[in-house]
Amino acid sequence: MLQEQKVRSNKGAFIRVFDGNRWYYSSLTDLSRVQECIDTLARMATPNPSIMEHPIVKAFEVNRDRIIQHERDSIADVPAAEKQALLEEYLKLLDYPEIVHHTSYYVDNKTIKSIYSSKGTAVTFDKQTCGIRLNLELACGDNKNSDVVSKAAIRFDELRGLEDYFKERIEKSVAFVREAVPVELGIYTVLLSPEATGVFTHESFGHKSESDFMVGDETMKAEWALGKTIGRDLLTIVDDGLELGNGYVPYDDEGTRGKKTYIVKNGKLMGRLHSAATSAALGEPLTGNARAINFQFEPIVRMTTTYIEKGDRPVKDIIAEIDKGIYVETVRHGSGMSTFTIAPSRAYKIENGNITTPVKVSVITGNVFETLAEVDAVSEEFELMSFVGGGCGKMEQYPLPVGFGGPYTRVRKLTVQ
Amino acid sequence: MEKEFITINEKETAVKIQNTRVNAVRMKDIVKKGVRVYKDGKIGISGAVGEVPDEVLIENAVQNLNAGISYPYELSGNLKDHRDYGKNRMSGDQLLECAEGILEKLRTEYSDFDFSESILTREISWQMKNTRGLDLEYRDSYITLGLILKERKSANVIDGFLQYYGRNFDLDKFWAFNSELLEAYRNEVSLPEGDTLPVFTFEFHELLRFLSRSLNGEIYATGGSIFSNKMGEKLFNEKITIEQNMSPIYRAEPFFDMEGVVLENDRYTLIEKGRLVNVYTDKRTAAIYNLPHTGAASGDYDGMPSLTRAPVRFAVDSDDIKAALGGKMAILVAVSSGGDFTADGSFAAPVQVGFLFDGEHIIGKLPQFSIRSHLYKMLGEDYIGTFESKHFYLGDGTLLQGYYMTVAR
Repeated sequence: MLQEQKVRSNKGAFIRVFDGNRWYYSSLTDLSRVQECIDTLARMATPNPSIMEHPIVKAFEVNRDRIIQHERDSIADVPAAEKQALLEEYLKLLDYPEIVHHTSYYVDNKTIKSIYSSKGTAVTFDKQTCGIRLNLELACGDNKNSDVVSKAAIRFDELRGLEDYFKERIEKSVAFVREAVPVELGIYTVLLSPEATGVFTHESFGHKSESDFMVGDETMKAEWALGKTIGRDLLTIVDDGLELGNGYVPYDDEGTRGKKTYIVKNGKLMGRLHSAATSAALGEPLTGNARAINFQFEPIVRMTTTYIEKGDRPVKDIIAEIDKGIYVETVRHGSGMSTFTIAPSRAYKIENGNITTPVKVSVITGNVFETLAEVDAVSEEFELMSFVGGGCGKMEQYPLPVGFGGPYTRVRKLTVQ
Repeated sequence: MEKEFITINEKETAVKIQNTRVNAVRMKDIVKKGVRVYKDGKIGISGAVGEVPDEVLIENAVQNLNAGISYPYELSGNLKDHRDYGKNRMSGDQLLECAEGILEKLRTEYSDFDFSESILTREISWQMKNTRGLDLEYRDSYITLGLILKERKSANVIDGFLQYYGRNFDLDKFWAFNSELLEAYRNEVSLPEGDTLPVFTFEFHELLRFLSRSLNGEIYATGGSIFSNKMGEKLFNEKITIEQNMSPIYRAEPFFDMEGVVLENDRYTLIEKGRLVNVYTDKRTAAIYNLPHTGAASGDYDGMPSLTRAPVRFAVDSDDIKAALGGKMAILVAVSSGGDFTADGSFAAPVQVGFLFDGEHIIGKLPQFSIRSHLYKMLGEDYIGTFESKHFYLGDGTLLQGYYMTVAR
């Protein structure tokens, strides 16, 4: 039964003033008051005749650009009825007795963002994403499970003709609730799917590359010193704001041009993600990673699309080498403190080189300082993706759309519970 | 045609902190409006951020009726209830002065730590009115202090938090508790002997999330809940009572649901003395599945009322942690990020920051470990109790809850 059809159109502005000592931020929805708001913030600040010489101000790029990509294929131009009809087509695939309930939706977002600075930046760009998400509640006797099957895209037409994609995943969810058994707790070799690799990369390492955590912290700087070896040669980790999708940031929210940044290359720490403030504080180049979840918040250092680069081995050969392990195919959530976690939605045993029985796993954990060195194989198969709904959280700013993914990745030792 | 209006005003002043110093001040003044129209058993919705005239929103909502969304339920009406929970408002200047004072003390007395993030004061108001005489208003003003704590000797991104949420911030109580907490960081201790230990948590988000999902009337009725078909059965320890609790005191959200329903005493009992007695519902779920209506509709200000997740809260059932421990030392979980329950109730989580705890005071910081249990064990034979957090100054209505759990080093 259709429960909601909504079109939301919002405008807002975020303004900030810097006096060399503090920032003064304000967000507003009445765009006719922008100048008034700038004046108010300026009165709060202390006049600083040398402000243009401040290292942070000097670090700001000055860009003038306009990148409008979606005038001809704007999702805003697709009638709501057409979007509803597409979703309803995929709902026909949910006809299994094990799917006892579902909440499913089509959602899209089109943003036109303009960034101006008193140094002269004037940048406007558009960005759009759309997707279908099927939230499934499954039951088979006393076995219960929740699972999500989703697909994100840039253009509406890319969401058509995905029956086989959705059918395959729905059938796996149904088989999982029928057959999954509790996992035997222990330390396993774990093979991560591209989705799980994406979450692993984001949580185990991505957040540590956000350099605001490092400013003023000598221990962190020493631990994560550039040039340090943290993994094998096969491990290369990238953050790329120019990759289309949820993490597409042609210009960040300070007007810095988006970039492809190698944070780990061939096992060595190569770079960090920066805003202008962290770039100035650490004396490293800008990377275009200052992002805010919306106009109500200030830009802080965040990831864009973060992934492990692909390798040159077929995944079947990597699996064949595992006598006893766990394969994580889909993920409910992850976290990335000193111990990072992945809570699998669907996981399977690997026995004698084959993926076999589905297993129920609460959480997979590893130490962030040790685990990257345990990555010993990455596949030639590779996929980047975006979540439909949700995103990355960093303190009060959640959810931020990010892209993620990578190859199939084998980690020699992780704790599975 | 009936019309319904939801208006949310949010004013916030936030003091942003980096390296234990104020580095920014942020102000926010946001208005959100939602309009619903009801006609011939259908509902239409619209909304906007900012001051958009009601006439425009009504017109958009009328257009939205064409989507044909059915809503054949009786509108709430003939009720006026205005409440203001936050009468001790702190101005932006007072907040900045308070923040500077706290940071000064942290810099001088706790220079082996670094603190960042924010202290903010927020004023909110929610109004829900309709043409049936519904007139509800919730006003509040509160402080949220959330400081990321980082030990200077540590290579971790985060080593813990200083936290407070509430309406009457008391600096003496704040320091009494947090001085003890910070001293405990400086005292590294070992885990007590044994594999099964008493473990205490503050807000056990994974447990509350799992319970909330499992007590959702629609998931229950369709068979997806671990509690499905168990109405009336004793599930947990007989001390345990769990309520759908709409009181703003604990969560700074309206006392009414998104269908304008106000509960008697703002609560509805779901688990009573360990027994499942109700699941939570909105009007639609109650009607479709023939369940008692508990006023648990959620949804966006500009969206349809729907049933997603209601606030569930344990009732306090015990009052003396030290006596409950009987001389044993316990573990206090300060930071546990990333753990979860499987759908059948098994639980495991890493504990990134935990403390040794004697039932009254925090003794010292423990090495990292993980905890494991099962829903029915931890809330059954292994349940210790739910206690009011008297000594731990974390905010209005904070609870401490204890259970025996398997601890893996």
